[in-house]
Amino acid sequence: MPTVRLTVNGQQVEREVEPRRLLVDFLRLDLGLTGTHVGCDTSQCGACTVLLDGQAIKACAMLAVQAHGATVKTIEGLAATDGTLHPLQQAFMDCHGLQCGFCTPGMIMASASLLAANPQPDEAAIEKALEGNLCRCTGYANIVQAVRQAATSGAGR
Amino acid sequence: MTADNDFGRFGSGHSVRRIEDPALITGRGRYVDDFAPEGLLHLVFVRSPMAHARIGSIDLAAALATPGVVAAFTGRDLVAAGVKPFAGPPPIFKRPDGTPPPPPDRHALAPEVVRFVGEAVAAVIATSADAARAGRDAVMVDYQELPAVGSVAAALADGAPQVWSGAPGNVVAETRYGNREAADQAFAAAAHVVSLDLDNQRLAPASIEPRSVLASFDPADGRTTLRMSSQMPSGARNTIADQLGLTKDQVRVLVGDVGGGFGMKTGAYPEDVAVAFVARQMRASVKWIAERSEEFLTAVHGRGLRSQADLALNAEGRVLALRVRTQANIGAHPAPTGCAIPLLIGPWITTSIYDIGTIDLHIQAVLTNTTPLGAYRGAGRPEAVYVIERLMSAAALKTGIDPIELRRRNMVRPEQMPYKNAMGQVYDTGNFPSIMAQGVDLADWNGFEARAKASREQGRLRGRGIATFLEWTGGNVLDDRVTVNVTADGFIEIFTATQAMGQGIATTYAQLAVDSFGIPLERIRIIQGDTDRGEGFGSAGSRSLFTAGSALQAAAVKVLDIARQKAADALEAPASDLEYEAGRFRVAGTDLQISLFDVAAREASGSIFLESVTKVDGPSWPNGCHICEVEVDPDTGEVAIDRYASVNDVGRVVNPMIVLGQVDGGAVQGIGQALCEQLVYDEQAQLVTASFLDYAMPRAGIVKRFETRLDQSVPCKANPLGVKGVGELGTIGATPAVVNAVVDALARSGLGERATAIQMPLTSERVWRALQGPSA
Repeated sequence: MPTVRLTVNGQQVEREVEPRRLLVDFLRLDLGLTGTHVGCDTSQCGACTVLLDGQAIKACAMLAVQAHGATVKTIEGLAATDGTLHPLQQAFMDCHGLQCGFCTPGMIMASASLLAANPQPDEAAIEKALEGNLCRCTGYANIVQAVRQAATSGAGR
Repeated sequence: MTADNDFGRFGSGHSVRRIEDPALITGRGRYVDDFAPEGLLHLVFVRSPMAHARIGSIDLAAALATPGVVAAFTGRDLVAAGVKPFAGPPPIFKRPDGTPPPPPDRHALAPEVVRFVGEAVAAVIATSADAARAGRDAVMVDYQELPAVGSVAAALADGAPQVWSGAPGNVVAETRYGNREAADQAFAAAAHVVSLDLDNQRLAPASIEPRSVLASFDPADGRTTLRMSSQMPSGARNTIADQLGLTKDQVRVLVGDVGGGFGMKTGAYPEDVAVAFVARQMRASVKWIAERSEEFLTAVHGRGLRSQADLALNAEGRVLALRVRTQANIGAHPAPTGCAIPLLIGPWITTSIYDIGTIDLHIQAVLTNTTPLGAYRGAGRPEAVYVIERLMSAAALKTGIDPIELRRRNMVRPEQMPYKNAMGQVYDTGNFPSIMAQGVDLADWNGFEARAKASREQGRLRGRGIATFLEWTGGNVLDDRVTVNVTADGFIEIFTATQAMGQGIATTYAQLAVDSFGIPLERIRIIQGDTDRGEGFGSAGSRSLFTAGSALQAAAVKVLDIARQKAADALEAPASDLEYEAGRFRVAGTDLQISLFDVAAREASGSIFLESVTKVDGPSWPNGCHICEVEVDPDTGEVAIDRYASVNDVGRVVNPMIVLGQVDGGAVQGIGQALCEQLVYDEQAQLVTASFLDYAMPRAGIVKRFETRLDQSVPCKANPLGVKGVGELGTIGATPAVVNAVVDALARSGLGERATAIQMPLTSERVWRALQGPSA
C-alpha cells in the first residue's frame, strides 16, 4: 500500500493507505477527525469540505494519495490552539447560522476559503462561494449573514 | 436576528446563544457515523433494481467469498428466524367496500416480492464498508419481473397490475367527510364556483445527515443497544423489539446529534430492524450508514397527492362550500403514517382559518410501486393549506374581489373562539384578521404597484402572493415525561423523552429551567436520546415545547416543593417560612439560608431526583400570514423571490432567535417545493431523481432576507406555557404564498385565470411554457 505524508491541522501525519481511500475516509477513519461529514456520495452537498493548501475542496471527491505532500485543515483545526474560536465559528453561533450542525463544518470551511481569497465579499460573492454546500435547516440567510459578520471582524485577514 | 450578547443567565424571552452550538461548530458533534467500537462490522443492503418482481433464488456464495465479508442474510433467513412484518394501516381506515385493510406484507428484508425500486432483499456484512459493498455487488438475485405502476393514474387504470394482494384496484383505504348533499346544493346556488386541479408533488425530506444505525449486542446481558439518528427513540425501540420478538427492555436506543429529521426520522425503518437482527445474530457491533441514493429510494417521501378542488361562493365572496377529491400516492406499502397523513390529518385543517360550514371531502389512498409515503415537515397540513390558499386566491382572481378582503370576509373571527371547524377540530385561540393586517403592513402590500412598475421598466413581471393559515400540532399525544435531578455538585440535569434534531430544543428547555429554578443557564444540563432513562412519543408534529416544556415546568414546581421541605428540615424552620430565589432557600426575614444544591448534598444519594408525567389540555394552533413577491424573467421563465414577509402567531416565545430560525428555515423548505423540488418516477416506476444532481434543493441566495415578525399577543390556552408549535409553520405557509405570487405575475401578464393551471414545481421551463400560451 502506498504511504501518504501530509500536514493535517498543523500535525505531520504519515500513513499507509489503500490507493482507493478517499481523503474524507482518511480523515474520518484513519485520523479520527469526524468533524468532516459525508452527506451525499456524489460531491453535491459539500458537508465534507476541507481546506487543501488553503483552498476549499470536497474531501469525498479526492483520494488520500492525491493529498500527498499537501496541507489540510479541517473544522477541528480552525480555532486557535488556545481554543479561541475562529471569527467564522463565532459568527455562525452569533447569527444562528446552524441548526442540526451536519452541514456546518463544510459551510464554515467553504467560507474560510472564500474569506482567504476575498476578505470583503458582497452577498452575491458569498452565495456563489456556498453554491456547492447544501443546508436543509437554516434557509441560508443566516449563514450568509454569518459570513458577512466574520468578514467585518477581519476573518479574512 | 443575532444572539444576545449577555447570554449567561437569561431565561425565556431572550435570544440566548444555543448550548448545542459550541460542539457543532468545532467538529465535536457526535452523529451515529462518528462512533466506531472495537470489532465493528459494516452492513450494506442489496436492493431491488426493479419496481415489482418476485424474488427467485438469491445466490450469496460469491459475496461470502469476497475478502472481508463475514456474513450475508436474505429476507427468507429473517422470516425463518421469526422476524415479524411491519404494521399496516390502522383499522380505523376502510377500503372502498367497507372492509378493513388487509394484513401487512412489509418486511425488514423482502422475502418473496419486491414492490418498489430500492426495497432491500439481502444484507451483506463485512469488516469494512468497502468490503461490504464489494460483497453486495457479488450477490446474484434471480428476479422474476412483474408489471408495475409508477403513478396514481396507472394504478387506477382498468386492469392495472395489483401492487398488493390485499387491495384489489390498488385503493387501500378511503375516507369521506362532510355532507355531500348540502355541498351539492351550495354549489348549485353559488354565484361563483372556482375549480382547480392541484398537484402536490412528491418530495424528499433530504436531511443532510442520512439515516444511520449502529447496533451492538452485549452477550453479558443479552441486550441490543442501537445508536440511531431518530426523532422517536421509544417508538423505534418498540417496533424493533416487537419485530424481533424481544421485550422492550432487551432493546435500548441511544440518540446523539441528529443531522436533521423533518419527520422522516420517525419510527423504525426496515433497515433498523435488519441491523438489529444482524447484530444479535453476529453477537457484534454492526453499522449501516445510508448512501444518498438509498435515502432517495427508501427514506419516506412526503406530499404526493393530487386534488380536484372546488369552492362555491356567494356574490359577496362568502364561501358556501368546499369540495375536494384527493388521490394520494402512498407508495408500495401502506404505512400507518403514510395513510393517516392524507386520509385524516390533512382533512382536519382543510378549512384552515376560514369559517366554512359545508365541506365534502373524498380521499383515496392509492398504492403504487413507489417508495412508501410518510411524514415530511407539515405532514398533511401543507397539502390542505395549499388547496385552500390556492382556491382563495383563485377566487379573488375570478370574482375581482381583493384577495385580502376576500380572506377577511371568510375568516373565523376572534370572538368565535373556541371554534369548532367542519371536521370537529376545536381551535382554542387565534386572531387571524389581526395577523393578516400585520402581514399586509409588514410586506408593504399596498406598495406593490410602484414596485411592479419598476419591474416592468426592467422587462420583468412582478407578482405578489399571500397565504393566511393555521395548523394543528402535537400528534395528539399530549403527555410527556421529564426527569429532574438536582445534584450536589451544582447542576440540574433534566431528561426528556423528546428529541433534539437541530431545532434548538435543548437550549429552549434550558431557558425554561432558568425561569423555574433561577439558576444560571450553564448549571442546567439537558439530556435526551436514551430509552433507558424514560420513554415518550418523541419529537414530531411541532409538539416538543408545548408538551415536554409544560411537563418540565410542572416537574420543576414539584422538585422545588420537595426541596423546600428538605430545606426546612435542614434549617429547622417551617417550610411555609421559606422563600426561594436564585437557587437558595431563605427563612423569610433572616439570613438563614441553604442552597438548592446543598439540600441535594444532604441526601444519601447526593441528589434530588423526580420523574414526572404531565398532560396538556389540547393541541396548539399556530397560525400566520406569509406574503411573497416574485419577479419573473419572461425570456427564461426564471422566478426570483424578491420579498418575503411573515407574521406568525406561535404564542409565547421562549427564544426568538430559534423561533425565527424555525420559521425562516422552514419557509425555504416550502419554497423548495414551490420552485424546484420534485421526485419523478418514469412509467416503469424507476425513480429518476435519486441524487442531489437530479433533485433540485434550494441553495444559498434563494431568499436574500426575511422580514419575520412574531405576534405573542394570543397565547395558547391549552398549555400552561402559552406556547404553540413552530417547527412546521414556515413550511406550510411558504408554498402557497410563493405559488400564488407566481400565478399573480402570470395572470397580470395577460394570462388571467389561465395562470392558475400551472403546477409545482415552478421551474423556469414551466413558467416559460405558461407564458407562451397553451400551444407551448
